[in-house]
Amino acid sequence: MDILKIKKDNLKQFLEYLAKKYTIFAPVEEDGVSSFREIEKMEIGKLKFDFYNTDKPPKDIFFPQTETLFTYDENSQLSTLPQDSANNSQLSKPIAIFGVRPCDAKSFTLLDKVFDSEKYTDTYWKERYKDALVFTLACNNPLSTCFCNWVDGGPFNKNGADIFLIDIGEAFLAEPCSKKGEEVIHKLLLQKAAGDDLKKGEHLKREAESMISKSIELASLKKSLDSFWDNPLWEETARKCLNCAACTYLCPTCHCFDIQDEGKSGKGKRIRIWDSCMFKLFTQEAAGTNPRPTGKERMRQRIMHKFNYLVETIGEFGCVGCGRCIISCPVNLDVREVIKEIKKIRN
Amino acid sequence: MENIEEQLRETVKKLLKEKKVDLVIGYSKGTLPFHSTPVFIADEKDADNLIFDFTCGNNLAKYLQKSKVKNHGKIGIIAKGCDGRSIVQHIVENQIKREEVVIIGVHCDGVIDIRKLEEKVGRKEILKYQVENDKIIVEGKGFKKSLSKQDILSDSCIACKYPNSPVYDVFVGNPVPIAEPRKPITNNLESLSSDERWAYFEKEISKCIRCYACRNACPLCYCEECFVDQSNPQWFGKSPNLSDTMIFHIVRTLHTAGRCVSCGACTRACPTGVNLAPLGIRMEKEIKDRFGYTAGLDTEATPPMADWNEEDKQEFIM
Repeated sequence: MDILKIKKDNLKQFLEYLAKKYTIFAPVEEDGVSSFREIEKMEIGKLKFDFYNTDKPPKDIFFPQTETLFTYDENSQLSTLPQDSANNSQLSKPIAIFGVRPCDAKSFTLLDKVFDSEKYTDTYWKERYKDALVFTLACNNPLSTCFCNWVDGGPFNKNGADIFLIDIGEAFLAEPCSKKGEEVIHKLLLQKAAGDDLKKGEHLKREAESMISKSIELASLKKSLDSFWDNPLWEETARKCLNCAACTYLCPTCHCFDIQDEGKSGKGKRIRIWDSCMFKLFTQEAAGTNPRPTGKERMRQRIMHKFNYLVETIGEFGCVGCGRCIISCPVNLDVREVIKEIKKIRN
Repeated sequence: MENIEEQLRETVKKLLKEKKVDLVIGYSKGTLPFHSTPVFIADEKDADNLIFDFTCGNNLAKYLQKSKVKNHGKIGIIAKGCDGRSIVQHIVENQIKREEVVIIGVHCDGVIDIRKLEEKVGRKEILKYQVENDKIIVEGKGFKKSLSKQDILSDSCIACKYPNSPVYDVFVGNPVPIAEPRKPITNNLESLSSDERWAYFEKEISKCIRCYACRNACPLCYCEECFVDQSNPQWFGKSPNLSDTMIFHIVRTLHTAGRCVSCGACTRACPTGVNLAPLGIRMEKEIKDRFGYTAGLDTEATPPMADWNEEDKQEFIM
């Protein structure tokens, strides 16, 4: 497939064209917090792409922190598509997410394996994700906390991208990576990238890959964890953990949720809300018992789910190495150190 | 600063050696610049990992409760002024006994707010830094900048009136002269109308993602079951909508009234930068005005919320 070029001067036009068919999500910084949100047409000119990882991951575009599954009213029929939901506008047009980093783009593919598998289909996820168009923006400047290369990713990884962008200064190189991406981009009569542009892209890739922290071999990690259940490391690691959900809520792949009914006297809604294995309430049972009574069990769950259970169920680590949990942890509990420690104990 | 760290390490080693403590809660170097990490030291030789500087922002009194340190014998704890006051509150509230802890007071010139620091460098990644007197020189890819320490101090530290732990068994370094706030509270929120203040807090609270990092970092939030975790029946909604989230923060502030020592650990813990410090600072003032009480100074005190006095102001009763 040809690699094309979107000049930054034409970006506004490009996005405006896209906005006719898609609801566009792009990175914005508001009150010191960067995240992806729906972009109104008039905001397109104001977008900036010189961010690192957004503070908040983009998972809420497809898997909102709170969403109404259905509303109910005992006097009428069950309604499966909530009338009062903010999701309606998203569903009327497919979603295009512009400028997502390779780690986050990859997180969508992992979540898709969880939410849309042969065994289970989550229609709420599927409705949003199946037609979505993902514009991945390569990381020219990975952070010191990035470790995507440990978990089968990289600053120029195309996994999950429909169109792969590289910022080469005055323009973006745009490489279609899926049929969907190709169709969209070929309608646009974009200029083909010149040899010099491609060289620039290659150079940036090499530079970024040399910048990122040295990779650690994790092929045996899953197996190491198979027999790690009773290791004292869990208790040791959990000791300083505050059991807040900063790591899991800011994780692009954490996807555990709770389902609740909100309403009274025969009327109401069923909602699902992000939940976190870090919370005591996460496994609190109606009978009053809790299989994960202390931080030790909760810490074990977080690590095991990412580096053992998901390898078994979807064949990949449930971590894309974005480093948000490292940056956001109030006590600097660094998941890379936990991984290294497990490897050290097992070797 | 190194001198203080050296003294601290020696002090801890001595306490462990003489079996005056079995476990010491302190700080060691974190994995990122400007981040320290809490550490639990039972072995003398590990005491060399201890650090103490302006990156030590966690309130260690948090770890005095629950299973974290239970069954570890006598606990030694490194205490800035605010940690010390929180420890006193734990004693006042019968969570621990004075004789169960060895408080290692330490000279504190305030801790930094990483968010302020990030803003000063345009949120670029800082890869290393060095301290030169009152200046901090930070470096990242393609930039080097000299910052004044005062500019990146945590708001709570700028307003701090009690830099020294009010109660201690050992003190490392010289105590900071007491009752001299480093700078008076320049909290312009006080001069705003209630509507404007509400708007300010709505804006702040709307950033909240309900991860409870604030609550879980708070040394005084030790309820076995927090009101937001009441599930049988559930007390109120769990989604991050403004109304529920606002209730959470307001109730938490009220519940820490007369207990909060404005250490600012909540604000520093917040991953989305919600500025909660003004709530605590204001509540402390309110408690002082109404009950003449300042939390965390006296282990024999009766907390105002657990007491009644004929003289208590009651102008709000119609």
